[in-house]
Amino acid sequence: MLVFVTRRLLVALSVALTVSIVSFLLLHFSGDLATSIAGPDATAEQVEKIRVEFGLDQPIVEQYFHWLVSAVQLNFGRSYYFQDSVMSLISERLPITLTLGGLALGLAILVAIPLGVIAAIKQNTWIDRLALSFAVVGQAMPSFWFGLTLIIVFAVNLHWLPAGGNSSWQHFVLPAICLGYYAMPAMMRLTRTGMLEVLNSDYIRTARSKGLNESTVVLKHALRNAVIPVVALAAVELGFMLGGSVIVESVFSLRGLGQLAWDSISRNDYPVVQAVVLIIAVFYIALTFFADVLNALLDPRLRVR
Amino acid sequence: MSNLTLTANSSITSLPAVPEWRRIMNRFLGHRGLMIGSVILAVIILAALFAPWLAPHDPYVQNVSQRMIPPIWHDKGTWNHILGTDKLGRDYLSRLLYGARISLTIGISAAVISGLIGTTLGVLAGYFGGRVDAVISYIITTRLALPVVLVALAMASLVGGSLQTVIVLLGLLLWDRFAVVARSTTQQLRDAEFIASAKVLGASTPYILIRELLPNILSALIVVMTLEMAHAILLEAALSFLGIGVQPPSPSWGLMVAEGKSYMFFQPWVIAIPGVALMVLVLAINLVGDGLRDMNAPEGRS
Amino acid sequence: MKRILEVKNLQVDLPTANGTLRAVRGIDLHVNQGEMLCIVGESGCGKSMTSMALMGLLPKRAAITAEAMEFDGMDLLSLSKKERNQVRGMRMSMIFQEPMTSLNPSYTLGNQLCEGIIKHKGLSREKAKERAVYLLERAGVPYPEKRLNQYPHQLSGGLRQRVMIAMALMCEPDLIIADEPTTALDVTIQAQILRLIRELQQEFGTAVIFITHDLGVVARIADRVAVMYAGQVVETASAEALFANPLHPYTQGLLNCIPIPGKTKPGSHLASIPGVVPSLIGELKGCAFENRCSVSTSECRRRTPNLAIKPSSADHQVRCPEVSLSFQEAV
Repeated sequence: MLVFVTRRLLVALSVALTVSIVSFLLLHFSGDLATSIAGPDATAEQVEKIRVEFGLDQPIVEQYFHWLVSAVQLNFGRSYYFQDSVMSLISERLPITLTLGGLALGLAILVAIPLGVIAAIKQNTWIDRLALSFAVVGQAMPSFWFGLTLIIVFAVNLHWLPAGGNSSWQHFVLPAICLGYYAMPAMMRLTRTGMLEVLNSDYIRTARSKGLNESTVVLKHALRNAVIPVVALAAVELGFMLGGSVIVESVFSLRGLGQLAWDSISRNDYPVVQAVVLIIAVFYIALTFFADVLNALLDPRLRVR
Repeated sequence: MSNLTLTANSSITSLPAVPEWRRIMNRFLGHRGLMIGSVILAVIILAALFAPWLAPHDPYVQNVSQRMIPPIWHDKGTWNHILGTDKLGRDYLSRLLYGARISLTIGISAAVISGLIGTTLGVLAGYFGGRVDAVISYIITTRLALPVVLVALAMASLVGGSLQTVIVLLGLLLWDRFAVVARSTTQQLRDAEFIASAKVLGASTPYILIRELLPNILSALIVVMTLEMAHAILLEAALSFLGIGVQPPSPSWGLMVAEGKSYMFFQPWVIAIPGVALMVLVLAINLVGDGLRDMNAPEGRS
Repeated sequence: MKRILEVKNLQVDLPTANGTLRAVRGIDLHVNQGEMLCIVGESGCGKSMTSMALMGLLPKRAAITAEAMEFDGMDLLSLSKKERNQVRGMRMSMIFQEPMTSLNPSYTLGNQLCEGIIKHKGLSREKAKERAVYLLERAGVPYPEKRLNQYPHQLSGGLRQRVMIAMALMCEPDLIIADEPTTALDVTIQAQILRLIRELQQEFGTAVIFITHDLGVVARIADRVAVMYAGQVVETASAEALFANPLHPYTQGLLNCIPIPGKTKPGSHLASIPGVVPSLIGELKGCAFENRCSVSTSECRRRTPNLAIKPSSADHQVRCPEVSLSFQEAV
């Protein structure tokens, strides 16, 4: 187990390092940052001045190492726009995005797992079809459009919930529904197929032969085994949701990390963009790492090894 | 012995002899999701192809006197503009039809590019294994860690949004699932007998990969292709909605939602129409993908 | 002797894409208290279906009908779900073919051994564990206390099957159905498990329905035998009578397939029954074995035979028109 964790940890760290290089290079080769920062009306001297000021005249390798060494110390430099340290901007916004992601994931799990279980038990009945349709529609719905629709219905017409902002918990309800519905279909389908597979397994037949109640058979013997892969998926989905929060946060004017990234992209504020990309990637890597470990803990066959 | 062959024969003839294509056809017709999906998809593709003939108006022509006419089911709707007009007086139906071209072009092109990248990587990793596999798997893991939406947004903003940019960007970002599926299916087939016999006959490695292996993993890849097409279409819409994708005055459906956003409280149909169009298209593609996967699955054959 | 199980005209129909599969087409069985009944037949003859129907483990889409399916005087088919659960597990239990997959990988053996008896008999966890340890020891599992906290994957297939046997005995059932419990095991372990089942069956006085395709196994352990073919019992008799005087051509064919040490010459071909089992989809007309039978006549194709009782021994019954004809002549 220890060997397994150590090895996974090393892989995770090296992937994080690679991601940092890739995201750094992607931004640097997509265009001339100095020109972008200076804006379209800047003169050649102004561009040069900015180039020197932000160290963009240095060789790219040097720039990267300089950035990486600071980034490891959680120093991502200063924002071009806010004239504030990137880290303080991020630490202000991150909790909002994490709250949103956590709520959305919780909601998705609360809907997906029971729905998947019921769909599997009632396979090929109208309940199953309804659950599958719910998932298929969720997969097809553009999240920005679903967000706007939620606003029209629940904020504007029904006045139940606020349309945007983040001053109270009510502000998180609609964004969490929007983001959660995006993550739900995959988890529901995985729960359903997992349950179908497990319910046909020999050990479920054994459990039934012991005369246990149907609820014990389903909830104790089947669900535990069917839900193991869903846990891993949930962690990965949370990672995706943090990355996808850009869209939902911009729709609901939720001042989280995603909106910070989006604003910074439109303002050519690259130190912030780079930091957010890296942080979200590191979160994703950490989440998949924890998912692997959690998987190993839940499955005794992996745990003992 | 003669007894055995006799009964074996009679038991075969007792089963209805159905030709292969007829069996595939029957399963196709028997799969409701696949049927519905293909019909909708076919209608949308035809509408996109024949947009110049079907569109009642020029999708780009503005008419200030005809702004924000509601669609036909509203009291103030007119037959001249069945789906109404937008804030610049452009005919919504015509824009919707031309918009289908954008979504489909981007979906197909991005899926083809990412399919080429992902399949190449996946087949190489699966076929050669060992160090090649380790390196490619590492590349896949790294790619998965990159937040697609953010990276696409940042790069599109730097390069400048356009149809081509979006296609290339999404093509370069969405190959992960192709690689994963191509890798695992290739691994399963690597030691199959027909590959071994091709090797024994002295076929070159590229020949084996392209002529022997690829046709056998194609069905799995086509399923991924549909999923990534849907994925690309949704991402394009999101990028365009945020203003970094396809640029105005192109009638991208995502852009239409963005342009209608400020009117949506009083005229919800402005965002409802392009949004529903997007949803129906993606839904149809996903239904086709799910259906094809069911048809490929061995248990579906029983 | 008291009959613990009485089955009359049991039929199991399964709907399939190609039509209704009549997996079990009218079976009569009975099991006496404490006896070992072997059901023997080829794969697909309906023997597993019969056992699953008795346990009530068939999927809902399977249609089960019977004139009688009585366990200790209770009509199994009319029991409520709750009563059925009570009978199954407490008074009837089952040992399955695949020890590798028949235990839940996520729970300890102790948990899986004890949950039934805790539910059915309301035992405390400690008392249940004591019994589990005792039975594991009786089933020949070394270090029984330690096993309670182990997971299935930590045990070999043979050991897992011993655990399954202990599990089947937990509630002191009146009847155990063992569905090919040795088929998936190595040959050396097969013999051990077989001996174990026989020993425990005699020690606890439990009736056992032992399902197998292997007549060699039958010869070693059976008190009585029912030979199944194409969803029907074609011959039933005490083990002695069946081996000494097999009446049905199918039984005779099966017995001919077994090599006998000293009698079967090395290098000679083993006998086999030519032909294939008829499809069980739809109605069968005439005798199901007719197309493979060496003594069949045109009459066999026309008339569906019933079980006929051998005049000299009421326990010996056979479903063959030719043989029943000879019974009539003898009378």
